[in-house]
Amino acid sequence: MAELPQPAEARPPGRVVLPPHRERARRPFADRARDWARHNLFPSRGGTLLTLISFALLVLLLCGVIWYVFFGADWSVVSSNRWLLFAGSFPRDEEWRLWVGVAVVFFMIGVAYGLWSRFNRRDLLFVAIASAFLIFLMAHGGAAAWSSIWFLVALALMFGGYVVAVRIPRDNSRLRVRANRIGIALIALALPIVLLILMVGGGAVSTDFDGFVLNVILAPVGIVGGLVVAIPLAIGRASSLRIISWTCTAYIELVRGAPLLGWLFVALFILDDVIGGSLVVRTMVVLAVFTGAYMAEYIRGGLQALHHGQDEAARAVGLSRRQTLQLIIMPQALRVSIPPLVGQAISIWKDTSLVSVILPMRELKGNADSAIAQTEFIADRIEAYVFVAVIFWIVAFTMSRISQRVERAQGVGER
Amino acid sequence: MATHAPQPPAGLPEPPEVPLVYQRRIRDLLIQALYVAVTALVIAYVVLQLGGREYGFGFLNQPASFDVGNQWLTNIDGTTNSRFTMYLVGVWSTIRVVVLAIALSTVFGILIGVARLSSNWLVSRLAMLFVETFRNAPLFVQIVLWYAVVLFGLPTIQNVINVGDFLFLSNRGIAIPWTVPDGGFWGGPDWMVGVWVAALFAAGGLAFWVRRRRQTAERETGKVQYPNRWALGLFAALALASFILLGMPVAIDRPIVEGTTYAEGMAIYPEFAALLLGLVVYTSAFVAEIVRGSIQALPRGQTEAASAIGLTAYQRLTTVILPQALRQIIPSVTNQYLNVSKNSSLASGVSYFDLFFVANIIQNKIGHAVEVFLLITVTYMLMSLVISLIMNYINRRVTLHSV
Repeated sequence: MAELPQPAEARPPGRVVLPPHRERARRPFADRARDWARHNLFPSRGGTLLTLISFALLVLLLCGVIWYVFFGADWSVVSSNRWLLFAGSFPRDEEWRLWVGVAVVFFMIGVAYGLWSRFNRRDLLFVAIASAFLIFLMAHGGAAAWSSIWFLVALALMFGGYVVAVRIPRDNSRLRVRANRIGIALIALALPIVLLILMVGGGAVSTDFDGFVLNVILAPVGIVGGLVVAIPLAIGRASSLRIISWTCTAYIELVRGAPLLGWLFVALFILDDVIGGSLVVRTMVVLAVFTGAYMAEYIRGGLQALHHGQDEAARAVGLSRRQTLQLIIMPQALRVSIPPLVGQAISIWKDTSLVSVILPMRELKGNADSAIAQTEFIADRIEAYVFVAVIFWIVAFTMSRISQRVERAQGVGER
Repeated sequence: MATHAPQPPAGLPEPPEVPLVYQRRIRDLLIQALYVAVTALVIAYVVLQLGGREYGFGFLNQPASFDVGNQWLTNIDGTTNSRFTMYLVGVWSTIRVVVLAIALSTVFGILIGVARLSSNWLVSRLAMLFVETFRNAPLFVQIVLWYAVVLFGLPTIQNVINVGDFLFLSNRGIAIPWTVPDGGFWGGPDWMVGVWVAALFAAGGLAFWVRRRRQTAERETGKVQYPNRWALGLFAALALASFILLGMPVAIDRPIVEGTTYAEGMAIYPEFAALLLGLVVYTSAFVAEIVRGSIQALPRGQTEAASAIGLTAYQRLTTVILPQALRQIIPSVTNQYLNVSKNSSLASGVSYFDLFFVANIIQNKIGHAVEVFLLITVTYMLMSLVISLIMNYINRRVTLHSV
C-alpha cells in the first residue's frame, strides 16, 4: 500500500516533504510495478482467476495467430496476385499514373500532418510498420521492385511535405493563415487532382478502376458527395417552410429505409434509364445520395444542439439569413457533428466492399474472388479474405485514430 | 406578426412601403412554389425516363421455378408455389437471422462493453482488442471470411467432429440437438406441447404478478422481499410441475450423420452460421462501444456512492449503473438494431436465401426492377418500423421505471 508521508522530524535533515501523490511517484519502479499489478491484475481471488483465464485466452489467441500467419497459411495467393488485388485491370503501361497519384496523396497527408499536427513516436512506428508491410507485399518475387521504389519515393515526399509544413510557425501570422488556406484547398482538391492524373491524356477510363484502387476512389467520392448532398438536406429539414422540410424528411427516411445493397440494385437496374453513364458513375451517384441522407441526420443533430440564441444574436446584429447560416450556424453545427460524420466516413469506406456483391464491378474483395477462382489457389480462400480484411482494417483504423486526435486537439464534439 | 411589429411613434413620417417580393410571407410562398416546380420537374423527368417499362405486380403470382435452401420451416417447393410465396420465405429467413442476431449481439455487446471498463487490466485490454478488431473490418468481408472458415476450415462430413454424439461440426454446417413433441409417459397426443407452452405463459404471467407485488411491498415497507428470486423460482417450479403433470411432452432429438447429410436434430447450415456469426460479432463490437460510452458518461459519484453504501461490484452494476446507463444506451442501440436488419441483406454474399437474395433472383428471371425494389424497400421499412416501435416501448418503460 502507499506509504504515508512521514512527519518532518523523522526524515533526514534537508529533505523536502512532498505531498502524498508526489511521494508515491518517487517510489522505486519495482514497487510501483508491484502495486500496479496488485491493483489491476490480482485484486482478489476472483480477480486473479479472471486474470489467469484471460491470460490463457490471450496466449492461445497469440499462438494461434502466429502459427496461422507463419506456418498454417499459404500466402502465395496474395503474393502472386498482388497487382490483381491492388489495381486489377488498370492498364499496365499506365502504372506510373497510379504511383504518381499515390505520391500526391502521401504528400498531402504529410503536409496536413505538418500543418495541424505532429508525428509522435507512435505515428512513426505505425508508418514504419505499415510501409514495411506494404513494401514486403509489393517487392515479393522481385518483378515488382519498381513498385517499391515508387512507394519509397512517395514515402519520401510525405516526409518532405511534413518537414516543410511543420516549420511554419503556429501563430496568427499571414504566412500561417495562407498555409492553412493552401492546406485546406489541397485536401479539397485532392480527389479531382488524383482523378486527373489517372485519366487525363490517354490514361485509364472509368471501367479500368479495379481492386483496391476502386475502393480508394469510391470512398472519397461517397464522403465528399455525401457532404454536398447532406448540407442542403439538413438545412431543408430544419427549415420553417413546411413543404421543404417535409420533402427533405421524406427523402432522408426513404434513403435510410432501404439497405445500401438495395440502392446499388437501383444503380444497376433502374438508374441506367434515368441518368445513363457508366456503371462506375452511377455507383458514385448512389453512394453520394445514400451517404448524404445519413450525414444529413448527423448535421441536423448538430443544428439542434445549437442554442437558438446563436441564430437570434446573428439576426440582431443585422446579418441576413444566408449570412447567419454561412457564418454562424453551419460552422458550429458542423463542428459538433464531426465525430458522427467521421464514423459515417469510416462506414462508407467499409461499405465500398458491397460494390462487388451484385454489381459487375470488382473492388478489392471482388478481385480476391477472382484470385481464388484460379485453380491453383482454389483452397486458399481464407488467406485471400484475411488479407482483404486486414487491408480494409488498416485504413479504417487509421481513419478512426486520426479523427480521435483531431477531436482531442480541437475539443470537437464537446461544444 | 403584425401585432408585434413596432409602431412608429406619432409625428414621424410613415416608413417606406416594403416591396412585395421582400415581404416575408410572399417570399416564403415564392420560394416554396419554385421548390415545388423544380421537384416536380425532376420527378416528371424520372417518370418519363422510366416510362418505357412494363409495370404491374402480376409477375409475383406466377410460379417461381426456383428453389430456396431446404432449411428450418422453409422446405417449400419452388416449382408450384408463386414468386410471392418464395419472397415471403425469404422474408422469414431474414426475420429469423435478424431476431437471433439482435438477441445475441445485445448479450455479447453488454458483456464486452462492461468488460471493457473492468478494473482488471488484462480483461479490459482483451475487450478492447475484440472491439477494435471487428469494428474496423467490413461486415461483408467478415461474413465471407466466416463462410470460408466454415467451408474450408472445418473437416468434411466424412471426418465430422463429433462432440459426444451431441454436437457435430463439419463443412456441411453444425448439427445441434433439438426438441420434438412427444407423447410422453401418458402417451398423449402431440398437441400436449401446445398445452405445456400455454401453461408456461400462464406461469410467466403469475410470476410477473408476484414480482410486481413484492416490488411494491419492498418499496412501501423497506423490507427486502427478493422479488426476482421469488418470480424466477415460482416460474421454474410451475414449469417443471406442469411438464411432469403433462407427461413430459417434449423430447430431445439428437442429431445423427446419415451418409453425407445430417438427420434428426437441427442442422445449422454454413450460410446461416456465417451470416449470423458475422452479424453478431460485428454488431456486438458496436453495442459494446455504446455501452462503454454510456456508462462512462455517468458521473463517477454514482459508482463511488454505490460502493460507499456497501454494494458488491455486481450489485453496483445491475442496480445502480446499468439502469441509469440504459437511458442513453437504448436510443443508440436501436440504431444498431436497424442496421442489423439492413445489414442482413449481405446474405446475398454467401447465398443465404434472405429476402434481398430472393428478390434479386426474381428480378434476374423476369425483370420488373422498379417493382422489386419497391417491394424490398417497403419490407425493410416495415421491419425498421416494428423494431423502432418495440424499442420505443422499451425506452418508455425503462425511463418511467427508473426516474
